[in-house]
Amino acid sequence: MNGELLIGLMGLVWLIGLIAIRIPIAYSMILVGGVGVTVLNGPAIFMSQLKDLAYAQFSIYDLSVVPMFVLMGNVATRAGLSQDLFRAANAWLGWMRGGVAMAAIAACAGFGSVCGSSLATASTMGRVALPELSRYNYAGSLATGTLAAGGVLGILIPPSVVLVIYAIIVEANIVTMFMAAFVPGLIAVAFFMITIFIYVTLRPDSGPPGDAVSRREFFEATLRVGPVLAIFGLVIGGIYLGFFNPTPAAAIGVFLVTVYGIVRGAVRVPDMRIALLDTAKTTGMIYLILLGAEMLKIFMSRGGVPQAAAEMMANSGLAPVTILILLLIALILLGCLMDSLSMILLAIPFFWPVIAELDFGMGAEELKIWFGILALIVVELGLITPPVGMNVFVISAMAKGVPMRDTFIGVMPFFVAELLRIGLLVAFPAIALWLPRLLSG
Amino acid sequence: MSAAETTMRAKSIGFARKLVEWWALAGGVLLIAVVLMTTWSVFSGAVFGTPFPGDFELTEIGVAVAAFAFLPYCQITGSNVSADIFTSRAGPRVIAALTLLAALIAMAFSLLLLWRMWAGMIDYQKYLETTAILQIPLWTAFVPILCSLALLCLASVVTLVEATEKLAQGAATGSKPS
Repeated sequence: MNGELLIGLMGLVWLIGLIAIRIPIAYSMILVGGVGVTVLNGPAIFMSQLKDLAYAQFSIYDLSVVPMFVLMGNVATRAGLSQDLFRAANAWLGWMRGGVAMAAIAACAGFGSVCGSSLATASTMGRVALPELSRYNYAGSLATGTLAAGGVLGILIPPSVVLVIYAIIVEANIVTMFMAAFVPGLIAVAFFMITIFIYVTLRPDSGPPGDAVSRREFFEATLRVGPVLAIFGLVIGGIYLGFFNPTPAAAIGVFLVTVYGIVRGAVRVPDMRIALLDTAKTTGMIYLILLGAEMLKIFMSRGGVPQAAAEMMANSGLAPVTILILLLIALILLGCLMDSLSMILLAIPFFWPVIAELDFGMGAEELKIWFGILALIVVELGLITPPVGMNVFVISAMAKGVPMRDTFIGVMPFFVAELLRIGLLVAFPAIALWLPRLLSG
Repeated sequence: MSAAETTMRAKSIGFARKLVEWWALAGGVLLIAVVLMTTWSVFSGAVFGTPFPGDFELTEIGVAVAAFAFLPYCQITGSNVSADIFTSRAGPRVIAALTLLAALIAMAFSLLLLWRMWAGMIDYQKYLETTAILQIPLWTAFVPILCSLALLCLASVVTLVEATEKLAQGAATGSKPS
């Protein structure tokens, strides 16, 4: 082992140590990256890089969709879309056994189509759906489990902030990534609904049927989601069909969601203020982590760590699929410790070179897409598993009567459904690749 | 510490918080301006065939300046994510000490970047670099960014002072885990 690699590996140990003692992940990366580069190259080069590095990183054009999608989600949480979505979904599904929970899943999917964040989806839909679920006497664990799991759809269904970040790290096409996420997202919705169906079949009193609605109410509720569907169609459909790039699409999305909120009387100046401040928090956090990841990347590639990891895996004699599964398991474990975005930024620069060296019978571009969708799903599992299942925390905090333990138990069936979906995607990459192939010809 | 000193300190911290929040809101308004400009550009491009000139570079500059303006607010509200799982059983004094350490790192980072990006601005002024279409001198974008970095330093001082106070309180009352 050469000296540079050793310094690189020591940097990794320091990084883990700093993160473990509660230093913000961004600053841990910045500190280790900066010190590491200085040790390897001397201070002069790094000091001169710093003149422009941060600005160059913050002004990447593709990255500008991130604050816009974050803002769109933050306005959407206040625009009253969540009520409309849930009412419509409930009109369609509520009459069935377990139907109100299924409606919550459908509404989460709908909300996820304008919001790229899992936590925002879980908390917004939780506020609307939890009272309804308890009104219909749904079991506490089913109600909270459904919403914690449903929140994951916020990030699986485009637009997705994590997916944009992944695309930027591995230099994949964002549009293709968004296309690839669509079918797996729909499968997630279907699997979650089937999970609820099985749950209420086994335990009929946990999810009694809701009220059937009158025909007039049914049409009224359905019509009210028109604007949401139109916004999603224009933003994501426009991106898919190549009418516009992600950034203009996101800008139009922010504009339309805001107009919708103002017209509905739900968004006023104080709401905009809170939406902007929330956007500031999330965007600032993401951008600082991105800067840290860039510094860490400079240090690590200079030390040759990703290359060494890729070489070691390639020479390990393990089958490509075994290595893939090992990496996915590593991601699931990491997901128990930190949030999805930091994890993508930390792990993908090491994992992607390993995967890129392996032969899965597809081209490099398709491999990027397939692995990205898998990583996204796996990373999101961390949101619903202990010890830091953020979605579960958020929903538990809202559902006062349900102990956190029940929520974790309630989410387990959905966790199993997710494992099945991952298995399906590993076995049949075409699930993710079909739509991009179709649309880009 | 006298009562007058304590209120003075509380007042200055309150002022710093307000300042940082307003700065972040200004960044947010800039982001909305970029959104409106881009929306207009798409609309005008589709209807009149004339997109807004230089919409690309305005987006790049606008979003970058806005993102820098968000950093102090992130620091002062403690929004930078950390992994709390390993220290979830630690007492409040240990947490305060670690927060103090994190604030020190943030402060050092803001000062280092302030110094280096100042030099970067001087470079851009000396070898005048402008955007391709609108010919905006790049150094002008650095002016608000340097203000953001100065505010980031201020924000980390605030978190530093608050963590020190907690540490002192913990020392006075004994380190009872809460």
